[in-house]
Amino acid sequence: MITTVSDDVRRLKRARRGGPNAFLGPLETAVMDRLWKRRQATVRDVVDDLAKNRSLAYTTVMTIMTRLHAKGLLVRDRDGKTYVYRPAFTRDEHRARLSRDLVRGLVDEFGDVALAQFTAELDSVDAGHRAALRRIAGKEPKA
Amino acid sequence: MRTADRAFGVLVLLALGSSVVLIALVATLLPRGFALVSGGEADTASVVAVLVLILATFGVSLGLTSLFRQLLATLSLIRTLLSRRVTLSRRVGDLAASLDLTGRIDVVRDVRPFSFCYWFRRPRICLSTGLIKRLDDDELRAVLLHERYHLHQRDPLRLVVARYFAAGLYVVPVVEELVEYYTVQKEIAADQAAVRAMGGVRELASALFKVLPDADDVDLGLLVPVGSLSATEARIEQLVDGRAAPLVLSPASIALSGGALAGASILAFTDGLHPALLSMPGLIGPASLLLAAAASGAAHQLRLVVLRPAR
Repeated sequence: MITTVSDDVRRLKRARRGGPNAFLGPLETAVMDRLWKRRQATVRDVVDDLAKNRSLAYTTVMTIMTRLHAKGLLVRDRDGKTYVYRPAFTRDEHRARLSRDLVRGLVDEFGDVALAQFTAELDSVDAGHRAALRRIAGKEPKA
Repeated sequence: MRTADRAFGVLVLLALGSSVVLIALVATLLPRGFALVSGGEADTASVVAVLVLILATFGVSLGLTSLFRQLLATLSLIRTLLSRRVTLSRRVGDLAASLDLTGRIDVVRDVRPFSFCYWFRRPRICLSTGLIKRLDDDELRAVLLHERYHLHQRDPLRLVVARYFAAGLYVVPVVEELVEYYTVQKEIAADQAAVRAMGGVRELASALFKVLPDADDVDLGLLVPVGSLSATEARIEQLVDGRAAPLVLSPASIALSGGALAGASILAFTDGLHPALLSMPGLIGPASLLLAAAASGAAHQLRLVVLRPAR
């Protein structure tokens, strides 16, 4: 429990330092953009794509993609000698994850002593409560 | 609304009552502590007195340090956000005017959807552009009504007072649980005020639904409170069927609180640390109750400080 909490705090600290794009650097963002466009790609594909705007060494891109894989943002399958990478999340899912972490970070990191919030602690809402809220919000998909 | 007010009343009463007992205890113990420090005879009573005093000072200062640090952090958060303040759009301005909130709303540029009420003497409401963009007019009105309740009630100040009690009265852990309960009740009361003014739950529920984080957050390793409803879930239950969240006090904290207060009362209001009391079985009689609560409370405070490291 305690390790979870401190991991959490550390993660949020890291997240806050760099603003909303904290989880991704500029090169990582460029690579993810390509992957989201192409749905799947090898390192070579990405290098070629990016070559239109900037020239990056194959090894640089490979390092970035390996790191994104380690971060859980890319999944990969071996195809013969090379890896084929796919995004683990859609762009929207990624954005949602990011903004969720940051909203939580807002409260977790700063404390909420002097705040009374509408969006105070919008965490851990289980599926049942979510569905109930959806129902009274009148957003139930028509059967 | 009444539940929250009642909870606050109970909290204040409990806090004042406990303070009286604990201050009386300190007043009783201080002379003994001084006697020991200035070379008096080191009998059990004096040692216990000094021990209790040290633990009390330690715990209270830890609690207040943690509270103070959080306050500073909150203020710095507000300052950071306000540096990104933008002028109110016509839409928000009109809404504010219709709710009698003109001049009380700050809009800050931020993609994250949030809103909160802040400041003590003359509270204000802060909205993010991310929130405004996501909500339609009715939903935004419902959120503003929710915040307006906090604003009229001066809830930021009340919350700080409540937290202050919890920090200072760490040997009475039920105070902290009451504060948690009170915080949730306040959100529920604000929801209810918004629902009443809107004439239904739909708009508020819809706003809440739109800002809920996504469901698939299983593998993120983020904190999941165990065994109890989250504040948001309690709010949803209240919105859905008016089911009130029960006040759940843990038996351990009731026992510790009761023990600490009983021990402190006996020590403070009988003949100080009477030798007969100290010779009671169970370590050192009533003092042991107090020590148990103090040790547990101090450990808790320490955890808070350690887990919220200074930035």
